[in-house]
Amino acid sequence: MLEIKNLHVKLADEDKAIIKGLTLTVPKGEVHAIMGPNGSGKSTLAYVLAGRADYEVTNGDILWNGESIIEMEPDERAAKGVFLAFQYPMEIPGVAGLTFLRTATNSVRKKRGQTELTTPEFLKVVKDRASKLNIDFDMLKRPVNVGFSGGEKKRSEILQMAMLEPSLCVLDETDSGLDIDALKVVSDGVNALRSPDRAMLVITHYQRLLNHIVPDKVHVLAEGRIQKTGGKELALELEQSGYAEFQGKAA
Amino acid sequence: MNVAVMKTKFEQSLTEQFNHVSARLPGGAAVGVARKAALGRFSALGLPNRRIEEWKYTDLRNALKEPLAVAVDDDTKVTVADLIVALGPLAHLEGPRIVFVNGGWRRELSNLEGAEGIEVAALGATLTAAQDKIGEALAGTTGPDNDAVLALNTAYMTDGAVVRVGDGVEVGKPLLLVFMRAGNEGRFVATRNVVSIGKGAAATIVEAFIGLPGSTAEGQHNSATEILVGDNARVTHVKIAADTGKATHLSNWMVGLGAETVYRGFQLNQGLGLARNQIFATYHGEGAKLDLSGLFLGRGTEHIDTTLVVDHAVPRCESRELYKGVLDGEARGIFQGKVIVRPDAQKTDGKQMAQVLMLSPDAEFDSKPELEIYADDVVCGHGSTAAELDTDLLFYLRARGIPLDTARSMLIESFVGEALDRIEHEGVREVVLEFARGWLANLGR
Ligand SMILES: Nc1ncnc2c1ncn2[C@@H]1O[C@H](COP(=O)(O)OP(=O)(O)O)[C@@H](O)[C@H]1O
Ligand SMILES: [Mg+2]
Repeated sequence: MLEIKNLHVKLADEDKAIIKGLTLTVPKGEVHAIMGPNGSGKSTLAYVLAGRADYEVTNGDILWNGESIIEMEPDERAAKGVFLAFQYPMEIPGVAGLTFLRTATNSVRKKRGQTELTTPEFLKVVKDRASKLNIDFDMLKRPVNVGFSGGEKKRSEILQMAMLEPSLCVLDETDSGLDIDALKVVSDGVNALRSPDRAMLVITHYQRLLNHIVPDKVHVLAEGRIQKTGGKELALELEQSGYAEFQGKAA
Repeated sequence: MNVAVMKTKFEQSLTEQFNHVSARLPGGAAVGVARKAALGRFSALGLPNRRIEEWKYTDLRNALKEPLAVAVDDDTKVTVADLIVALGPLAHLEGPRIVFVNGGWRRELSNLEGAEGIEVAALGATLTAAQDKIGEALAGTTGPDNDAVLALNTAYMTDGAVVRVGDGVEVGKPLLLVFMRAGNEGRFVATRNVVSIGKGAAATIVEAFIGLPGSTAEGQHNSATEILVGDNARVTHVKIAADTGKATHLSNWMVGLGAETVYRGFQLNQGLGLARNQIFATYHGEGAKLDLSGLFLGRGTEHIDTTLVVDHAVPRCESRELYKGVLDGEARGIFQGKVIVRPDAQKTDGKQMAQVLMLSPDAEFDSKPELEIYADDVVCGHGSTAAELDTDLLFYLRARGIPLDTARSMLIESFVGEALDRIEHEGVREVVLEFARGWLANLGR
């Protein structure tokens, strides 16, 4: 279970508060969506969950399976099952996709006390999971994300997620830049990972993705806190009414 | 004589030791004359210092304080097993090898089997046998005559490799020239290689400067390689200088390129207290391609200098330089790349780049590109960068569960990879990567 308690976050090297008292609980087996206007702090929340050093938690706590993670290094969190699919996946020139995937997979496996995959074992798994996501295997021989289209980058994030087998999946605007076919492939990939042992937090700006990844709950994030929580029908309402009613409120 | 400056202890010692060792240095009368003349040049010039423009970042007079005994007829015991240990990743490189310990040829450690189409001999023996023929050649060497380091080399050279590849001969396996430092006392060692590659020939030559583990960390190696590449030949020339962090490495490559040749030179520097790598490349024929690249890895107070002079003396030639450096601690890296385009050298195409990754705020990188262009129809460019590891990329890797050390190594490897890729011979490229990985594995945080 993910428990975010009265979280306050500011930029690490500036006095700018972004998240201002956010409380949220996602039980295992559930998919929660976070929707909100641009600049409301959705990506910041995602980064803080993953442990990015640009942000500082000034108050509150984040518990994953009852354990506070806010002091943990990003790789430690990954080993504990936290995975963030980036809104803007980064290009890593000079590091081949397969090397990256194998190093990542075996790093978390080792930390989780699982046996590391041999090269043939790893290749078999990667080939299988890549093909399900319509990812051309040759693409993985290229440097990570370099020269990939927006859609290719997002599919490559989901492949990483499939390989790392996380228990907390945070997807930040995974739908942006995807055409309708790619959206289907990515959603199928995400849905395949739905399980009673996994919690998922799906951040999106549009309702469209939630037709494919149907959430148990929808939260509206604006001005750095959760303004409203509802069922999946809330996403449809927001599509009609927009976020205006949640903005401009005093924090 | 109007010697204005007092000789330093080092200069004095290296001038005086000549009287004690000259009788034991190889070569006949003409070689003796060339040595004496070179010693005279060294004595007059003194060690280069910061008042000489080309040496302003590497003041040898200041840095080389303690003189060491000149190595002659060294008999430090070194076994084949020792050699294998010292070679490290190079032990697996397949191909003929000639081995020198403290500047002396060791027949029993060398293995020239399979050196088909390639003639390899020890310089010491050649100088003695060929008497004055090679002495004259050395007197007319292709290097600059005002270089005190090269002058010291000519004065004191004890041995080295004489390599000849015949016209049209394509040598598959790389030839390895090993220069090992061993023993409990630091020595001043001077070695010289003379390489000639025939017309239309192809060869890969690797020079390795290594220390025997367990030996003193001290040592001063002065090395020079003259390489003449015949028309249409293709050469890969690699230097691996990988020591334990204290030794001094002074090196000169004098490269002469025939028409339509392709010459690729690569130099790895790591674990060197003080290094100065000079390359003087001159085009003798049109249509030649020169590709110089290198990797320098520095930590502690190491000081690594690469200074290139590329002389486009004829038209239609290409030059590429790509150097990468990784500097930690208070290490200092220097890159000086001078490209001269003579008035006749139209259609010259030159590109130069030096990039350094700074792992510490106390590291320093000085880059001095210099273009001297006297022709009008040329394309020449240069650039240099110094950057830190990208913290966003580090976060991305770590968010995927990759521990900090591994993530750093991956990013550093990817940074240096572009330079390593310039090494055409796969086996040699792997060896260089292994050395670099060994260095990375000891990265202090
Ligand atoms: N690293 C950063 N540096 C400066 N400003 C930032 C940084 N991260 C977020 N912000 C600011 O914080 C606010 C929330 O940003 P973000 O979390 O990206 O919003 P969202 O993902 O909801 O669009 C915005 O005003 C944004 O400009
Ligand atoms: Mg965002």
